[in-house]
Order: sequence, then structure tokens, then C-alpha cells
Amino acid sequence: MKIIEAICAKGLPKRDLKNANRVNLLALFWVLTLMISTFLSENELLNSGLLITLAFCIHTLIGIAMLVSYRHFLVQLDEMERKVQLDALALSVGVAIISFSSYSILENSAIVPPLNAAYLIVLIALTYIVGIIKGRISYR
Amino acid sequence: MKNRLKVLRAERDWTQADLAEKLEVSRQTINAIEKGKYDPSLPLAFKVARLFEMPIEAIFEDETELTMS
Repeated sequence: MKIIEAICAKGLPKRDLKNANRVNLLALFWVLTLMISTFLSENELLNSGLLITLAFCIHTLIGIAMLVSYRHFLVQLDEMERKVQLDALALSVGVAIISFSSYSILENSAIVPPLNAAYLIVLIALTYIVGIIKGRISYR
Repeated sequence: MKNRLKVLRAERDWTQADLAEKLEVSRQTINAIEKGKYDPSLPLAFKVARLFEMPIEAIFEDETELTMS
């Protein structure tokens, strides 16, 4: 029950939920543009300089909009929830750095294949989600 | 940090949601402050003090001062 409430961010003011939804929507668009660009590249449909530039610009601009929106969300956020968010961010960055550096030792020794950047993004995202849920539960 | 928020709120017949609305924070934040799980920022502590028309130290207990003495 507590986990469900933590995932749903139960009790946040409407303003914060509205801001969070805007960030989530932009994150969804950001992921979609990345998936579409990757799909087009793999099928050799992204074959002209103009299309590559267009795909790059759209994906980058949506990414910047997502960051600006997230910053706006953090600034307006309820102060305890902001602490939860910042703690989760710190945890995800820390885990990413440690994992990346540890993996690089194995990679240099040719024990494991070269690191795929996508795995790092997934690791950061998952750690961030775990951090948010853990933080929300600890204050309830 | 220990505080008298719950007592002061009860004296005025306010729910956690009422107090949260007055302080422009979530009900969870009020709940966490009352339980001593979360320490409010200085601006929020001042806001609480203004709302209850009391000095901050009459609402919040400085535990470090207690342990030092």
C-alpha cells in the first residue's frame, strides 16, 4: 500500500502534479524521438544530411525542454518532495559513476564487452525511480 | 526535530490538510514534520511561526542545544 502511494505521489498539490505530468510527457516524447531516430538509422532511412540534422535538432530541443521543465518542477515543488527528488538524483549519479568506473576496469581487461551507453541511461533511470520510492516511503 | 505542531494544530481544530493548505505544502510534509521525520526549512519554520503567532523556539525544539546542556 505504501509503495503504491509512493509511486502515485499521493497527496502532492495539484500544481506539482501538473508540473510533473508536463515533465513526464516531455520525457515520453524525448524517448520516442530517440527510438524513431534509431529505427530510421538502422533501416538506412536516415540517409541525408538534412534528415540527420533534423532528427538531431528535434531530439536535442525536446531534451532541453524536458530539462527546463524539470527545473521549473523542482523550483515550484513542495519542499519535502524536492528533498526526495534531489536525494534520488544524487543516488542515481553516484551509482552511475561507481558502476561506470568499476565496469571500465573489467572492460580494459577485456573481461566484458564495451559499455553500451543505453545501459547507463537505464541504470540511472532505474536508480532514480528506486530513490524516489525509497524517499517517499521513509517520510510517510 | 521535536515540535509542538500537532498540539497547536489540534488546539485550533485544524486537520493536517487544513494546515498544509495554509502553509502551501503537501499533507505528507505536515505529517512528516509532526512525526519528527522531516525538519522544515527556515522559511517554512518562519511561516509556521507567523501562522501561530509564536516565536520559532516555542514551536520547534532545538535538540542539539538540549544535548549540549
